[in-house]
Amino acid sequence: MSPMKDTPSAPSAQSVRLGIDIGGTFTDLTLIDDATGELAINKSLTTPENPSLAVEEVARAGLEAAGAAAEAVHSVIHGTTLVANSIIERTGDRTALITTKGFRDALEIGREHRYDMYDLFLENPRPLVPRYLRLEVDERILSDGSVLTPLRPEEVEALAAELIENEVGAVAVSLLHSYKNDAHERAVAAVLAEIAPDLRVSLSSDVAAELKEFQRTSTTVCNVYVQGLVDRYLGELERRLRSIGIDAALLVMLSSGGVATVDTGKRYPVRILESGPAGGALAAASLGQRAGHDDLLSFDMGGTTAKLCVVEEGRPLTTPEFEVDRAYRFKKGSGLPVRIPVIDMVEIGAGGGSIARIDPLGLLRVGPQSAGANPGPACYGYGSTEPTVTDADVVLGYVDPASFLGGRMRLDIEAAREAIREHVAEPLGLDVTEAAWGIHQIVNESMASAARVHLTERGKDQRAFPIFAFGGAGPVHAYGVGSLLDSPSVIVPLGAGVGSTLGFLAAPLVFDYVRTSLERLDETDWARANSLLDEMSSEGIAVLESSGVSREEISIERRADLRYVGQGHEVSVPLPDGRLDERALPAIIEAFERVYAELYGRVAPELATEALNWRVALSGPQPPLAGGETGQEGSDSDASPKSRRPVYFNELGGYEDTPVYDRYTLPAGAQLAGPAIVEERESTAVIGPRASIEVDRLGNLTCTYD
Amino acid sequence: MTSDRGTTLDAIGLEVLWNRLISVCNEQAAALIRTSFSTVLRESEDLSAGVFDARGNMIAQSVTGTPGHINSMATSMRHFLRVFPTEELVPADILITNDPWFTSGQLNDLTIVTPVFLGERVVAFFGNTCHAADIGGRGLAADARDVYEEGLAIPIMKLYERGEPNRDLFALIEENVRTPDVILGDIHAQVACNDVGGRRLLEFMDDFGLETIEDVSDQILDRSEAAMRDAFRAMPDGIYENETFSDGFLEDDPIRLACAIEVADDSIVVDFDGTSPESKLGINVVLNYTLAYTTFCFKAAVNPEVPNNEGSFRPVEVRAPPGCILNAQRPAPVAGRHIIGHLVPNLLFGALTKIVPEQVTAEGAAGIWISQMRGFDERGQFTFALFSCGGTGARPNKDGLGNTGFPSGVAGIPAEVVETVSPLILHRREIRQDSGGPGTFRGGVGQTMRVGLLSASDWIVSSQADRVRFPPRGYLGGADGAKGDFWLSDGSHVDPKLQRRLPPEAEIFLSLPGGGGYYPPLERDPDAVLQDVVEGYVSIEAAERDYGVVIRRLKDVEKLIHLPEDYDLDLAATQRLRNERACA
Repeated sequence: MSPMKDTPSAPSAQSVRLGIDIGGTFTDLTLIDDATGELAINKSLTTPENPSLAVEEVARAGLEAAGAAAEAVHSVIHGTTLVANSIIERTGDRTALITTKGFRDALEIGREHRYDMYDLFLENPRPLVPRYLRLEVDERILSDGSVLTPLRPEEVEALAAELIENEVGAVAVSLLHSYKNDAHERAVAAVLAEIAPDLRVSLSSDVAAELKEFQRTSTTVCNVYVQGLVDRYLGELERRLRSIGIDAALLVMLSSGGVATVDTGKRYPVRILESGPAGGALAAASLGQRAGHDDLLSFDMGGTTAKLCVVEEGRPLTTPEFEVDRAYRFKKGSGLPVRIPVIDMVEIGAGGGSIARIDPLGLLRVGPQSAGANPGPACYGYGSTEPTVTDADVVLGYVDPASFLGGRMRLDIEAAREAIREHVAEPLGLDVTEAAWGIHQIVNESMASAARVHLTERGKDQRAFPIFAFGGAGPVHAYGVGSLLDSPSVIVPLGAGVGSTLGFLAAPLVFDYVRTSLERLDETDWARANSLLDEMSSEGIAVLESSGVSREEISIERRADLRYVGQGHEVSVPLPDGRLDERALPAIIEAFERVYAELYGRVAPELATEALNWRVALSGPQPPLAGGETGQEGSDSDASPKSRRPVYFNELGGYEDTPVYDRYTLPAGAQLAGPAIVEERESTAVIGPRASIEVDRLGNLTCTYD
Repeated sequence: MTSDRGTTLDAIGLEVLWNRLISVCNEQAAALIRTSFSTVLRESEDLSAGVFDARGNMIAQSVTGTPGHINSMATSMRHFLRVFPTEELVPADILITNDPWFTSGQLNDLTIVTPVFLGERVVAFFGNTCHAADIGGRGLAADARDVYEEGLAIPIMKLYERGEPNRDLFALIEENVRTPDVILGDIHAQVACNDVGGRRLLEFMDDFGLETIEDVSDQILDRSEAAMRDAFRAMPDGIYENETFSDGFLEDDPIRLACAIEVADDSIVVDFDGTSPESKLGINVVLNYTLAYTTFCFKAAVNPEVPNNEGSFRPVEVRAPPGCILNAQRPAPVAGRHIIGHLVPNLLFGALTKIVPEQVTAEGAAGIWISQMRGFDERGQFTFALFSCGGTGARPNKDGLGNTGFPSGVAGIPAEVVETVSPLILHRREIRQDSGGPGTFRGGVGQTMRVGLLSASDWIVSSQADRVRFPPRGYLGGADGAKGDFWLSDGSHVDPKLQRRLPPEAEIFLSLPGGGGYYPPLERDPDAVLQDVVEGYVSIEAAERDYGVVIRRLKDVEKLIHLPEDYDLDLAATQRLRNERACA
């Protein structure tokens, strides 16, 4: 659509990288030419029946708009919601489970826990493998890895024959204690490979070698369930890109914030489940770092939800578990657990479409119910009369009804006022403005609360984290959220430059491994621990080298999940480099106690420490994200408002005649005083009276509180 | 601080403050779960955490936990303040008790309360109740003859005084419990999480420039009370009665639980008169615990959106004759109190079907089965509490949940964790066919477990299991769920609640009950019955017998896989059969 720089230049050989994300509605592209710094974006409607069509379309158009040749493309980094959608819509292959005798129902019995104490009408998540495809083998390994009942291959042969007969396409193999001893799972795989070579097979010891059968099995099932779909799709995508002359490495975006080869993506599709949101957080991390902020809070507020993510030292924090296909989107425990490293994001039901209502206590509540895009907020004029956050933002003057989405959609402010009057103002005895301000304030408060809990659970102080705001509604609400959190500043990037696809281009090649081996650190068999770590490292080096990364470029981070003996939750602690032995112990314990104290305020030095999981994360070099400079220099004298309008600021006691700036004409170096409104096509930044704004050379608005 | 923080307590300002209080409690509970040592806490989340105003009113609590802990913790604060009036407390004091009559009805539940000071003044209390894996005595078994046999009693006292630990008390606890590291570790976690809550509360008060939280508390409590009263006013006045039965001990008479719910305008009186007297063994319930599940019940059935606090409790009055099993008197043994206590919601829901049938559930397995196992292995002494759940009662518009706790909110424990931390081995944990009570909406299914030991010494086993004699009942035409069962590998069906010593090679078998059905089974959608047969929840025989649905298997029964298309639903035969049954 709009290259950010108008002067096309001849790209040098193989210097162009493409980031492509298939979302529910749009397929997005970011193009970057490392040689010239040129950056371009493009968008096309997603083609659900054959998603690679839209990819071809968007790639072709993007290259054309940027004046780049297909041959110049060096790599394509790809993310997609396809995998998650396939699980949610249950469109994966007919999948079976092979498990230990007596445990085929572990997948369904789950945690036996009601995730909402008072809701008598809740539903448990439905397993991906129906009960009639959950099969058992009479074998047993114990918690120490020893074999109680040996596996009989004949039994697996009989199973394999029936799997073929019933046209089962995929099988998850998850046997008890396989994280400790994978011999039986491998034996099952060997028999299946011989008798049913076309069957897709995932082993739990390979996909998620961790303690807890329910979570491990669930992860393995998710993986193999979508494997066929992802395999076919990525294969088709490679062919299409080649057909338009792009002969580049195709890489997939992982949920953890790294990228991997297509082969890895096909083998472990469960690792790309959350690739889209990961891209958004990476873009925030990368752009934030370029603007001089290694630590920040990424804040992405869209139409139905707000997503928050902590970025530290230029990297989004990750967590080892998440849930997919939640029955209640924001209720932990209502989805299928997946034990895979994922960018640690909190998502709450707070977006432009969140509906305001009066609860049984007579208090004003906003969200998590959302009016979505259709009927959408009352001001969209599609017939909804329920007041939403966007309606409040229009009434308060934050969003201009005439220039919403670059003027492509005219908003009905009277409909917004009427909805707020009827459903909020009158029941509470307030005027419409007070009610609108209440809606705005409450949605800000719930986002700030979520951020606060998210940060403190990780032992962080929110006052140290600038807010990096994007998404359609992010820049409208960031000033208010930042003020509630006592944030030092709010950064609003140039909207066009921020999307998950830009983040894709900032991600290094990574691969990570985990093995469970419960050991007391003072009794650890270090030779064993070293060989476990070495095994994972060399496996990862091989994978990365085969993806074209040289050995010198690979950085290896080794960590252990440690806890006091007997505890059930671990903290992840970096391990020293080199071979480990008892001499490394004091440093490891010290690192553990440092992290533990940061999280929980106190340590228990009298207790022994144990390791549960051993992790190795390998990564290639982080690609540079050059380019994107506005190229315009100027001073504050160049910044003149395009118009003025009344905007509500509670600090000023009401509506204030406020200058409105055009984002695209603001020169680098411009300085503005709040209150001010800065408009661009997809969003509006609202800056209150207690802050001043500076435009940096990259076009970011940095808003600092007085 | 700034004016945009909305400190005026209108509907908006109050909502803002209220949100913050809830998030403070969630931080408190998160810290507790993550730093705890016992599987009971970290896997089963058998705990509660909450904040109280300076007068001892519970205002908010974390979203984790169980009603039995949360609501009885609310009452316990009154007792703490009676022993230690606010003005006698100083900063860094921390209080503790496990008195069953003051807290949640068994010695294993340790309640720790920390006053929060702003300067020299108490502005709030943080409290939490956690289930300790062991408290000495007979271990957590239901067959003690008085409370003295059940373990160490800790009267309301100071665990810390001015920041100094009460070393005598710590030494006493250490000496009296079987797994002191775990128990003391959890106590430290309980102390630390109250600190987390206290710190966050003071920051919150500072942010909003609050000197007290009394004003917020009063408004939230009053509004909660008013919302509950509105809901009660909408219910028809009258007296609604019900009774249900618990196994008790197999050699004794069963236990009758009776209630009369009187709805009068905007308040409710629940009278448990007619309930059996105390048992001579440890399944007695203190009034605090009865109260906790009674208030839980009305909130869940009548107005789940109203916050759970002192205010929402006010319109409900509970009467239980002293000495009945729902109002046990000292020194009655009480360790297995949840067995009876968890039946209270079933009992009350049964009465409520007469006025709000679309808002309650049929009877379910109710009490979680807590199987207590202890003995020795090469690592020393072990004691393990295995939590497991049967099916919940069917709902008036959907099936019950299979193997899900209700009314308790605790979670089960993975087999791999059980086997890693103890010498126990789980040989089987599977869904029990035909255990869900038939109905237009079927009760949730139960499960069957087989547990053994990988150690050479004897072990001691009991299970706080109920509904072995009396099945969970279906409502309004729905049929009963399957009874539970407990047996040993020698084939003897013994009283699960009595502890017994077993040789190492013995195994125990648990079959957990399924929930009762709702509305008549002959009205169940035949496709739903077919689906149940395909999934193996219901056998082909039971489909015909209980639902009048005729299904044939089209494939050799010896085959391992039977896909949905391998069954045939005979709609004509089903119609005929159902007509015959309806005429009969």
